[in-house]
Amino acid sequence: MDIFNVYLPIAGLKFNVLLLLLIGTTVGVCGGFFGIGGAWIVTPALNIFGFPMPYAIGTDLAHMGGKSIVSTMRHSKFGNVDVRLAVSMIIGTTVGMELGAKLVMYLEQLGMAESVIRKIYVVFLLAIGSYVLYDYLSHVRRQKISESKKEEKVTYGTTLAQRLQRINLPPMIEFKTSRIRCSLWLPVLVGLVTGVVASVLGVGGGFIRMPALIYLVGCPTLVAVGTDLFEVMITGAYGAFTYGVKGRVDLLAAMWMLIGAAIGAQLGTVAVKYVRGYAIRLLFAVTIFIACASVLMKQLELQLASSVLILTAGIVISLVIITLLVRGVIQERRAVKNGNNLSL
Amino acid sequence: MNSSKDKIPLRALLFRLGTLALVLALAAVWLLPVVAWAAGGGKPATKIFNVADTRAIEPGVSKWIADIYNSSLWLYGGLVVVMMAGMGFVLGYGMDRLVRLSGINLGKLDHHE
Repeated sequence: MDIFNVYLPIAGLKFNVLLLLLIGTTVGVCGGFFGIGGAWIVTPALNIFGFPMPYAIGTDLAHMGGKSIVSTMRHSKFGNVDVRLAVSMIIGTTVGMELGAKLVMYLEQLGMAESVIRKIYVVFLLAIGSYVLYDYLSHVRRQKISESKKEEKVTYGTTLAQRLQRINLPPMIEFKTSRIRCSLWLPVLVGLVTGVVASVLGVGGGFIRMPALIYLVGCPTLVAVGTDLFEVMITGAYGAFTYGVKGRVDLLAAMWMLIGAAIGAQLGTVAVKYVRGYAIRLLFAVTIFIACASVLMKQLELQLASSVLILTAGIVISLVIITLLVRGVIQERRAVKNGNNLSL
Repeated sequence: MNSSKDKIPLRALLFRLGTLALVLALAAVWLLPVVAWAAGGGKPATKIFNVADTRAIEPGVSKWIADIYNSSLWLYGGLVVVMMAGMGFVLGYGMDRLVRLSGINLGKLDHHE
């Protein structure tokens, strides 16, 4: 195994290239499939294998920018990226992240940043995961009702996103890819709020933005995934530069991880073709609960166990996604042979 | 677009995947600490100064990166962004071509939920 060890001059340690490729591939698959950056996997994974924390964060952000380009290119060809919506949100996100940073500094002055932030993080993850799971279960129940009442027209109440879209606050703007028309202030405000939360929690924000795009703006799941990746690409590039200037990015490690991540991102992105939006939401909810468990373990000072859990979960979720992809490709080929199309 | 008779119920599929995931998770939970231990484990060291030790590095990409790091961090920050963006585009394009060669239909998707 020694032949796979390379010396990383910036972080100042020897590291196994195969591990970097494995971490990169894992986060690439999850990122391409869920539309997230994946800092929750990479940072603890690099850290347990010996990377000092600041270098783990910086190196993760650097590779995240490159990986998101790979995913965004593919999602864009699938028609899943709403550039106009992403740009509208970036305005709010940028302001929100600055406000969030100021809030963190204020909490630091009060000497309660760490404990407050961790608690908010747990509450947020639990709330998002529970809501996404509740939404999935409601969808399954609605489907059953629809199947049992084939002749009758089944109606459902308006969603929160539909209500928000109706607010007539100029300028009204049409997002063609998402097939929605709403006030420009809606995505800007959603970007602002998710920006504040992401900045306070010290995460990239994909975990929060992706569900916000679905439940507050009203995007289809696949467009939410693609559009969020576009934002991750921008924030990743910005993070790479700021951490690079501070000397906290190991470029060589980021390059190796990016090679793995490019393969993983392509697999994860193509997998969305074979999975319905609600199946993505269900897997996303499971992922959020695991991330939440990991944060709780950190709170209990079980640092190593928390990192092992998150890395293991990342690998398992990636394998599930790759299985869905392989299964979908086999079914598609079979269907083409039989002369019809299908998806999961 | 889809024929419903060929569909496997999502619940059955998720159950199968869940079983597979559980087996893999148990295997990984056992394997990962072993790998972590073999990789050196323990508390990571921290650097005090932003200087890369280039004495033991042979000329090549590592040395080039380390030299830029030691000469100017602003230049290094720029290099990180350019390298990551450049590699992202090249790898994205290359992987895209590879997936196309596999014969998967990569046209626009229906946004079905």
